[in-house]
Amino acid sequence: MKRSTARIAILLLLMVPTVAWALDHDNLDPNRPIAIEDAYVVPKGEIGVEGGILFSDRKQGKSRFVFQPQLIIGAFDNTQLELSSDVQTDPRSVVGDDKSGNLTIGALYNLNTETLSLPAFAARVQLGFPTGVNAKGVDTALTGVMTRSFGQWRTHVNVGYTFLGSPQGLERSGAYRVVAAVSYPLGYPTSFRDTIIANAFTRQSDLVGQRNPTGIGIGLRHQVSSRVVVDVGIGSELIGPADRSVFFSTIGLSVGF
Amino acid sequence: MRTRQLLALFGVTILIAGVTGACAPVEQRDKRFYYRALWNFALRENLQELDIEFNGVDFGHSNLYENLLLTGAKDVPAIEDRARKETLRFIDSRPVLNPNEEAIAPTYMKLAWKAQNTFDEAHALHRATYDIYVSDLVEKEDAIRKVVAFYRNSKYSITSKPLDHMRLDNFPYSKSFRRKFPLFNATIWAYHYLQVVVYDTLAAAPNLQSKQKAVEPILRTYHGYLDKPPVEWTFMPMTEELSPKFAAEYPEVANIFNNLHMMHDNISDILTTDLLPTWEEKREEIYRVTQAYYWASADVTNPFIIRDGEPTHTGSTPAIEPGATGGHSGH
Repeated sequence: MKRSTARIAILLLLMVPTVAWALDHDNLDPNRPIAIEDAYVVPKGEIGVEGGILFSDRKQGKSRFVFQPQLIIGAFDNTQLELSSDVQTDPRSVVGDDKSGNLTIGALYNLNTETLSLPAFAARVQLGFPTGVNAKGVDTALTGVMTRSFGQWRTHVNVGYTFLGSPQGLERSGAYRVVAAVSYPLGYPTSFRDTIIANAFTRQSDLVGQRNPTGIGIGLRHQVSSRVVVDVGIGSELIGPADRSVFFSTIGLSVGF
Repeated sequence: MRTRQLLALFGVTILIAGVTGACAPVEQRDKRFYYRALWNFALRENLQELDIEFNGVDFGHSNLYENLLLTGAKDVPAIEDRARKETLRFIDSRPVLNPNEEAIAPTYMKLAWKAQNTFDEAHALHRATYDIYVSDLVEKEDAIRKVVAFYRNSKYSITSKPLDHMRLDNFPYSKSFRRKFPLFNATIWAYHYLQVVVYDTLAAAPNLQSKQKAVEPILRTYHGYLDKPPVEWTFMPMTEELSPKFAAEYPEVANIFNNLHMMHDNISDILTTDLLPTWEEKREEIYRVTQAYYWASADVTNPFIIRDGEPTHTGSTPAIEPGATGGHSGH
């Protein structure tokens, strides 16, 4: 049954025109399509609405669909503000900081643009409010972001730590995560509508005593029009706890205005 | 305990970043979104033939700067043949969206981001004025005043005062690009020709259909220039000579565009000259020229601003070398 669900999800992804680029061509946002972001914010004054559906086929437990809406505003110089949420199927089985229905506000500040001698750095602060199912306490996440380019290749590193406001049962009180990725403008130098991104990630498990979910992902972002970007991605948590996501796929849309 | 260790690691990472930042030049990115209006992308939606050409133009400068940097401007065929033909291939691909210039010129962007951001802001003003001219907006003048006010609100805005381009073209390294790479230089000037010649043509055409018809001969002329670059030109095309009505109606905008195109020429020369042999020297000179002679914030002290009563460029173009034939045919 689970295998057929995964096949349907893959089929759906293949049927949709491959698309995605952030609101800004060179601006990678987390989960659009995979878990990495670059050190750059959206331009001051830009408003972006993003949304995606993630399918997660877990080794143990029910498969999940997650809807990930997000609002991004280039509010100040080199600063973007965000409002987001994750709405998940089977919400009562969710553990950790991403409870279904939690409302998250965040800010990403770009410290500098990349120069010949210095990568671009950014810092993110997020507050997750317990508006979701089984949620308690305000979660706080801090993330450092670095982007360095080598020719057309761009490398990105995200290192973050999440403090749970009120851990329940065997939940950890805090967990780190590390993501490294590369991106490349597919079609260069004759086309600039597609960016391919590949990542490798590890994070502390949501419950104590479990292995780190660790895996890889790959995604494509395609610019459909001046204002619209579509993305698709797939990946796997190769090692980790029994309920890890052995296969995940995502499709999303970003609109800037 | 592990949490403390991780926090300590995080802190050390930030400290390293901070120390590195203190030792290296730190530049803000300062990207601004374009002026939001109903007429945004009117050119792309209503006059795609012309929009496609401008998307091709966007590739040209960035590709040139990247190749000048990476070759040290030592390899003439690499610029005149390979890089120029790459640009022509991109133009021939008829791009319906503007390219990602940071992917085209990653090294140049890291060398001189402030100058690039200055270009980006001015190019956005170019795009906005095309959109307004092609839109069905009745109060076009009011819309242009608003986008100019928005543009001037940026610290990266180029001065709207007339600059003495002849003097700006007389630095010790000036003209080095056009002398060494005449074909690519003439190709760049052909872009600038297209960018300014369309204003009066678009304004004179009363409706979209006639605008589409009116730009056809301009595009033919432009592509003629791409096929056979006008190497006989001795100075860049000027807005007031190619779109005199536009320049008369919006002299500040015309000045901004002329100054923008002159700044392009200065940077091409800086990237070419042997007088500034290292990347660091080139960067310093690009920033010196940009900030002291082009940014509007330097208007009070800018020695190149033409004050009242001083000569202007009018009548200086088309500038043909004595004995040369041809000119700005088609306009």
